Formats: sequence, structure tokens, C-alpha cells
Amino acid sequence: MKTDRPLAPVPPTAGRTLDAQLHLMDRQVLDHDGVPVTTVDDLELNGPELDTNIPPGAPAPVLTALLTGPVLGTRIFGGRPPSTRLIRIPWEDVADVGIVIRLGVSGENLDAGWVERWIRDKIIARIPGGRHDPR
Amino acid sequence: MILGDLLGVHVYDDGGTRLGRVADARFVVDGPPRQLLADARLLGLVVSPHSASSFLGYERTGLDQPWPLPRMLRWRHRGSFLVLWEDIAMIGTKSVRLRAGFTAYSPALDGAGQE
Repeated sequence: MKTDRPLAPVPPTAGRTLDAQLHLMDRQVLDHDGVPVTTVDDLELNGPELDTNIPPGAPAPVLTALLTGPVLGTRIFGGRPPSTRLIRIPWEDVADVGIVIRLGVSGENLDAGWVERWIRDKIIARIPGGRHDPR
Repeated sequence: MILGDLLGVHVYDDGGTRLGRVADARFVVDGPPRQLLADARLLGLVVSPHSASSFLGYERTGLDQPWPLPRMLRWRHRGSFLVLWEDIAMIGTKSVRLRAGFTAYSPALDGAGQE
């Protein structure tokens, strides 16, 4: 589209503006204790229906979850993991978006950290001295 | 819908003219309040005519360092515009179609690049 004239600014909105790529994607996620949980690999919305005409006045889709999962392979070779393989952190659990994304809940109970918990409990804990802080 | 599927998709106007690709999606946190943050609703899509995605977002901020990156990236993303949700007629797996008479807004954020 040719745009020789400067474009009009966006009408003012009441809330904070977040651009998905700039402010959310690939950001580190910390739980309410400041412990790293994961990074944001993708985002999930509650609509709209794909390949279907959107009726005028339809309510805007809302961000429902931050997604994380095994995306290394698909980042290199393209595509994305199936939706069922992605782990969801509900938007309700997000407390703040800044340099990092802070959750208002503990990361210990989130599915997003299961690999790290499994390695801690099954491998690290069995190494002599692996059950306490280094002295 | 998973947002990653939408990024990079071609955008057409109602007459079928190609306008660019979806470079980003803008949300505004002004929905019904929740315990921690309010709902973030989709405000619109940033469309870039010359690139499939946006890199570092220099075309949306007033940052001018480090030379010469901002200048190069602004040129790469020249002509980017924001189209509001109300002007989107259809979102598909392969394309996004806008309504007739849609308005192209400036994609600029404020100086801090946050809102």
C-alpha cells in the first residue's frame, strides 16, 4: 500500500498496549518468587473461527494463554508442534508484563516446569550431595 | 487460535489487492478485570508490505540507536500500518481479508516502546 501521507495515530485506548512480538513472545516467565519458569513460545486467543467471515461488531478475541513447549525443532525446520503438545499458562495467572513476564502464582505447580522438576527429582537428587545447597 | 499461525500470513483488501503480511498483533489490556491483570483483547494487526515479520520493532518506536540499525530496519519495514479488529473481515489459514474502506493507522508506540 502506498502511503505518502503520514498515517493517523491509533485512537486512544484505556489500557496498556502490548505488541505480541515486541512485548510478549520469547520473554522469560518468572513465578511469584522470581524463579524462572519458562519462556513464551506462542500465544493463544479465544477466536476468531478461521476462514469464516467475521460479522461487523463481533467482539475482539481475547488472549487466553501463554504457550510453551518443544519448539526448538520447529523453529529450525519450520511449522509448530501440534496444539496438544503445547503447555498453557493461563492469562489469569499473569501479574505483570515488563522486561520479563511475572506470574502471580508459584511455578512449582505449573505444567510448564515439569521437565526441570523431573530432572531435579529423578536425577540431581540421586547424585550424592544433590539434595542440599552447596556449602 | 494460536497466534503464531497468523503471523506472516498475507493480508488483502476487499478487492483482493495484496497489502502485505501480518507482522505483529497488538493487544490492549482493557478487558474485564481479573484477579491480576485485565483481559487483553486484540486491538489490531500490524501489516508490513515488504517483510514477512517485524524485527526489533524500530518502525514502531522513536529509538535511533545504535546507528545504523534503526535506519536500515525502518526502511525494511517502511509502509507498515496498523489495522484495527473492526476492519478485519476474515482471518484464514492462508490469508487475512480487510473490510471495504478500512483505515490504516500508524503502528507507532510511544517513545518508551511500551504503549
